[in-house]
Amino acid sequence: MASSCKEIERMLVDYADGRLSAGKSSKVAAHLAKCEDCRRILAALQRSLELASVIWEDGLAEIEAIRIPIPKKERRFQWTKYAAVAAGILLVLVSSIVWRTFFRPAKKEPTFAEIERKISESGSAARLLAAAELLAEYPDAETIVRQQYRYIVETYPDTPAAGEAKLRIK
Amino acid sequence: MNEINPDFSAVLGTPDGEADQAASERSSESNFVEIFLAELERLKRIIAGMGLSASDGEDVLQDVSIQAVKRTGKYLTKGDSIRWLIKVTVNRCLMEHRRRRSFRRLASEILKRRSETKTGSTTAENKAIVAEELEIMRKTLQELDGSLLTPMVLRYFCDLNSSQVGEILSLSPSTVRSRLREARMILAKRLVERGIEL
Repeated sequence: MASSCKEIERMLVDYADGRLSAGKSSKVAAHLAKCEDCRRILAALQRSLELASVIWEDGLAEIEAIRIPIPKKERRFQWTKYAAVAAGILLVLVSSIVWRTFFRPAKKEPTFAEIERKISESGSAARLLAAAELLAEYPDAETIVRQQYRYIVETYPDTPAAGEAKLRIK
Repeated sequence: MNEINPDFSAVLGTPDGEADQAASERSSESNFVEIFLAELERLKRIIAGMGLSASDGEDVLQDVSIQAVKRTGKYLTKGDSIRWLIKVTVNRCLMEHRRRRSFRRLASEILKRRSETKTGSTTAENKAIVAEELEIMRKTLQELDGSLLTPMVLRYFCDLNSSQVGEILSLSPSTVRSRLREARMILAKRLVERGIEL
């Protein structure tokens, strides 16, 4: 059955674009072989696209020269960022004050017994030092005196008398 | 007919192939400005295809770039971002197309700029025929409704396939194909009316 021009016309664009199935394509080709009007339309379809391309390309040549400066996005003042930093600093300060006030270990206070012991040791060391200095006036007692100084230094090392004894030994 | 931006092809696919969805999914948060700059040549093709003058085209691109800057940081895939840019550009072109006369450059001016046309015509007679045909085509494109011109530009000048054109214009591929057929036939029949050599 011969295809009508109307029927073929509907397929001509896809035929020109090469997007018809093999069956339909051969049907169109068969019709075109004997129909000059449809051949004319096919030629016009191809020619019109060529001409449209010429017009589009010409427009593009003009448009190509356009340079678009890209606007920069305005950066908003990021107050939240700065507020977070400020809050962090404040937190550290407050924590430090609280810790110092409530949790810092108290400086160790000397007990009465320790004070008494220190006084007693200083007194003993001073008495021994005084005795040693009295003995030092006798030349024969030099050895005993030195032993006495050493005893003071070793037994009462934290007392002022021990410091004096060290000097005498030297 | 034209060279395709490889990024665009990777994301939306080539006219004869299927869209590479995987590439589209790979991208995450879009930097619209970067995508805008990468797609600038394609957007210019759309503007030229829609027949806008350089000054109107510049306005369109300025508007689109501002919208791209405003949209930077929005979470979209790269493919969606490109489609959005094309859609915005097409819509702006259609606004200009409706508001003013497009394709204002006369055929004689076009031919003057093209010292050697693609038709390869050399004789004075041939040149006259080309000039006449070009003028018919220019007027026909100018009169063509935006709903027919846009699919034509995207399909034949931007090398997108019917599915991609449909996604951009929110049309089904079959509607795109039927509009393409209608537009092509209008152009062809104008040439036939004038008389075309076989």
